[in-house]
Amino acid sequence: MAQETKVRESTGTDANGHTAVGQRVTRLDGAAKVTGKTVYADDMKMPGMLHTSVLYAPHAHARIKSLDTAKARAVPGVHAVITAADLPDYNRKDSNRTGLIFPDKEVLFFGQPVAAVLSEDPHVAAEAVELIEAEFEPLPAVLDAVAAMEKDSPLVRDPLHDVDRSEERGHVSVETKETEQEGEPSNIASSAPFERGDVAAGFAEADIVIERTWRSAMVHQSYIEPHATIADYDISGELSVWTSTQAPFYIRDELAQAFGIPENRIRITATEVGGGFGGKIYLTELMVAALAIAVKRPVKYIMSRKDDMLAATPAPFAHIELKTGMKRDGTLTALQARLIYDSGAFPGAPMLPGCMLIGGYYRCDNIDIKGYEVLTNKVSVGALRAPGAHNATFAIESHMDIMAKELGLDPLEMRLKNAVAEGDLMPNGQTYPAIGLRECLEAIADSDVWRRRREVEATPNRGIGLAVGGWLGGLQPASAIVCLNPDGTLNVTVGSADITGTNTSFQQITAEVLNVPLDMVNVETGDTKTAPYAGMSAGSKTVYTVGRAVKAAAEDLKQQMFELAMKRLEVEPEDMEVANCQVQVKGAPDRAMTFKRFGKLSTNFGAPFPVIVGRGSIAARKTAPGFTAQAADVEVDPDTGDVTLHGYAIAQDAGFAINPLSVEGQMQGGASQGIGIALWEEMRYDEDGRLLNPNLLDYRLPTSRDLPPIETIIVEVPSEEGPFGARIVGEPSIVAGPAAIGNAIDSAVGARQHEVPITPERLLRSMGKL
Amino acid sequence: MPRQLISLTINGREREVAVEPHWTLLETVREALDLTGSKEGCGTGDCGACTMSVDGRIVTSCLMLAPQVNGRQVTTIEGLQSNGSLDPVQQAFIDTGGLQCGYCIPGMIVAARNLIDDNPSPTLDQIREGLAGNLCRCTGYTKIYEAVELAAERIRGGA
Amino acid sequence: MRTFEYKAPETIDEAVSLLKEAGGSARPLAGGTDLVVQMKERATRFPYPATIVSLDRVSELRGVDFSETDGLRIGAGATMTDVATHPAVRERYAALAEGAGVVGSLQTMNMATIGGNVCNAAPSADTVPPLLVYDAKAVIVGPNGRRTLPIAEFFRGPGETALESDELLAELRLPVPATGTGAAYQRNTPRKQMDIAVVGVAVALTLSGDAIEHARVALGAVAPTPLRAMSAEAALQGQPASEETFAKAAEAAAQDSTPITDIRASADYRRHLVKVMTARLLAEAANRAKGTA
Repeated sequence: MAQETKVRESTGTDANGHTAVGQRVTRLDGAAKVTGKTVYADDMKMPGMLHTSVLYAPHAHARIKSLDTAKARAVPGVHAVITAADLPDYNRKDSNRTGLIFPDKEVLFFGQPVAAVLSEDPHVAAEAVELIEAEFEPLPAVLDAVAAMEKDSPLVRDPLHDVDRSEERGHVSVETKETEQEGEPSNIASSAPFERGDVAAGFAEADIVIERTWRSAMVHQSYIEPHATIADYDISGELSVWTSTQAPFYIRDELAQAFGIPENRIRITATEVGGGFGGKIYLTELMVAALAIAVKRPVKYIMSRKDDMLAATPAPFAHIELKTGMKRDGTLTALQARLIYDSGAFPGAPMLPGCMLIGGYYRCDNIDIKGYEVLTNKVSVGALRAPGAHNATFAIESHMDIMAKELGLDPLEMRLKNAVAEGDLMPNGQTYPAIGLRECLEAIADSDVWRRRREVEATPNRGIGLAVGGWLGGLQPASAIVCLNPDGTLNVTVGSADITGTNTSFQQITAEVLNVPLDMVNVETGDTKTAPYAGMSAGSKTVYTVGRAVKAAAEDLKQQMFELAMKRLEVEPEDMEVANCQVQVKGAPDRAMTFKRFGKLSTNFGAPFPVIVGRGSIAARKTAPGFTAQAADVEVDPDTGDVTLHGYAIAQDAGFAINPLSVEGQMQGGASQGIGIALWEEMRYDEDGRLLNPNLLDYRLPTSRDLPPIETIIVEVPSEEGPFGARIVGEPSIVAGPAAIGNAIDSAVGARQHEVPITPERLLRSMGKL
Repeated sequence: MPRQLISLTINGREREVAVEPHWTLLETVREALDLTGSKEGCGTGDCGACTMSVDGRIVTSCLMLAPQVNGRQVTTIEGLQSNGSLDPVQQAFIDTGGLQCGYCIPGMIVAARNLIDDNPSPTLDQIREGLAGNLCRCTGYTKIYEAVELAAERIRGGA
Repeated sequence: MRTFEYKAPETIDEAVSLLKEAGGSARPLAGGTDLVVQMKERATRFPYPATIVSLDRVSELRGVDFSETDGLRIGAGATMTDVATHPAVRERYAALAEGAGVVGSLQTMNMATIGGNVCNAAPSADTVPPLLVYDAKAVIVGPNGRRTLPIAEFFRGPGETALESDELLAELRLPVPATGTGAAYQRNTPRKQMDIAVVGVAVALTLSGDAIEHARVALGAVAPTPLRAMSAEAALQGQPASEETFAKAAEAAAQDSTPITDIRASADYRRHLVKVMTARLLAEAANRAKGTA
């Protein structure tokens, strides 16, 4: 087994004097989850609730000629059939996927929702959908993003206007000179250049120049819980939505704009998220809310797995052309790249972070990077854990190995020589804050997987590969409230959806600041009417930003207690401390007031103190990029192309691991997704743009048979702003997998893989055996 | 279609329930019996989130029709804890951090409990084989392997 | 799922008369791992059934029995788990245990029946190549009584079988393998489990000393139905059990296959796999044969 797991029990004091943070703490919601008690959106019922079944466009691009719903309406048990014509008024924005509920003229991708049937019986709704008589006139479907860039390519859609980029910014903070298409007849939705130095000169001074093209398939987040939403609209004009989302406040703001409802009259409850990975920001909520407004009854929409594969927001295909130059001594002299991300029928492809990372791991004086976000008649894409990063990283990290091999350099030493550190430039000219890329490389060098390299590589068809990855992280203000209860326990309320165990980290942060045992602190995510604001749980920023707010709130509460205690303890706040669930005089612990006493004195009838509520509110300005280095140990069957993963190691900089148990979980989970992208996962379309594998049989997620235990090494290079030095954690882990596996395969059988997933068939072809 | 009455033993309790023939076992348990612990992740038997035990063998309840369980013994995640305490498998998943979003966990734990019942000392390879029908997207399985090993150890030790 | 009438007969005869009454609008249901999925997805190769005749109460359909005189009898309602874990199957019909032991997950194997796997008639069905190499016979029951069909004649195309709409597959009968027989089944899938065979290969060799006395090679997922690779068998018959013979037979098996390109693999790759896997499995079967002799 990878490492010994320690269970909570005693929270001792660690080397830094921490008692709560830095400890391996089991999840607050653990017992509810292992007993099946946790309530997910599909587990909820509302009185009078209707179920939804959606008609999905059967063409990649077509004109809607007619939609006859009479037969569907006539099915006994059907409550309503809603098309674009039946929707309530909303602020429709045709240029954004989430601005358009049902199209009325043209469908832009196979699986685009066109109409919905509502019934008390979900089976009746599903049956009635098939009776909607829809006539379409097929139009030319543009499916290849590279060909779509050509001047003479047919157009995917009408030109874009007023594209809303707010969702993308929730995932990553990048300052750029992005150019939007805006009204031009082109399939290029946006483009961005990143330039520094003189690449021609850089290539001229290089001893080798490598130029290759890299492709990575469209992949799906494949959370095990498909999208699930319930909405209700009452006669007084209040809209309530219970939905599996990472972004309750974002949805509130969007729905407020869409329907012209004030934000204080919308309640978004983020139900427990059964996996999000960037894919559950804002998608079905607008439609379900509109349906609820239309029929004045609660409406539930649970996507089937097929619905979710067809019509959620997967991660893009990317085509990346990369040219790099290197001197014999391993100095990177020039990097030129053209990155094309297939956005599907609406903008939203994460081209910018791809550009930032392809030129962001290694120091290089001469760069010329151009990114393109290209529209096609496919389902529009969204975020998947470090959106856009694995595609770009597959390219640069494969290149680094090719160059190391050609120059006879050690792949790890050569990376260390070039790896960026604090003060180095990002492609957009900003400088890096303190980061731990080099430390991750040093840590992976010490992993079991990497250390057995010589021995493994002496075995035929076995190989070990290395790659780095990283993510810049998102930024958003955050807030939190800590309340002191009459019995001295504490309630923390936040507005961030807990998708990774963040509430448990907030429990630790609060316990640390107030120096109390963990079980004195409970944490709750409120809804958008009861909780203080938090940004979306995306961009790996929840502990980094909301955690800071929680820390500030706990400190505020402590300060309030100190000030209230001045009279009774007869000392100034600076002479007080918290310990043993009390405020005590430093050096004289018997002169103290217990938290319980504060609780009673601030809540009882006629009590003298005001209620004690700590408030934390922060702005986040500085990113804390997270890096990782990963090593894969693979065996290739040289006759069938089958790949067996014998071992995998990940080292990642967490800044400071507030809860190592959950940090390891994030690292292992992300690594496994990267491995899935490397070897199996691919959304396959036919020549008419129809998805061929909308199921979990032929869209292959890794099973336990496919994944060995993952060796997990936490690196800690403190961030400047994060609570206790914590930095972003959730996303970097997914980024390195495709390149690490590709490099390992090359090391095993000497066949370079230029496309992921590396299917047995592709691998065999690359070996010239097919 | 008129509903038909079936009787089954669910988590040790005999229940009669009126079902429609096209209801799956999963729907019946979730909707008619109000036990919502078991989840639907795919509806096609590919993910294992709906795993229940029927007459001592695990099945994907999304593919079993309600009338098929007439007279049978069904165990769901809700049936694992006894006398107000968690099953050792449940406790081990908490202790090792073998759960994140939790959606696969009810099915995963039913499968893991069944695995340990059949083989009290599973090797890592046997655990990896035994749980291959239960997809987890969050954990990468590492901590799930640890959970099953820990649970088996505790059960062998009489926990 | 659209609704239907549900019948749960307790005998084969009762089941057959229900099918007959329905006149083609009924379908027998076994484990449901194929049929229920197809019904949910409206992807049945036949009209959506108005009646489901569930076979799970028909005790005659269950059971796996072996005798040295009559060989193996497998009730069509035996689950993959029943088959794969049965001691006689594991010992005497290893290829069949291997085929039944890779179908989906444990959950699938606990539900899916061998009769369902055969009657669903997928070209990729994992139990069928093993049944072919063991010369299994299908015992079919209909309104006019029983008939027996060699398994190779049971399949007519993807999803199509020799069964009339009022007939049931009742059991499979496998003769006792001759002394000195070794057999094996393997399939290739991108994942290690939870997948559909890209190619499945079963072989059986009966050796007399080093000579191949009797050979069977059967292929899955490389033609409209699982099939015997006749020219591969001919290339083995009477030849020494050598690497060279196996290579020739493997080449012949690839020629016997008529794969298509689909979402799971290209025709080229499938044909290549047939060759690689057949050669490997023949060597494995020969080893096993030597072990039993």
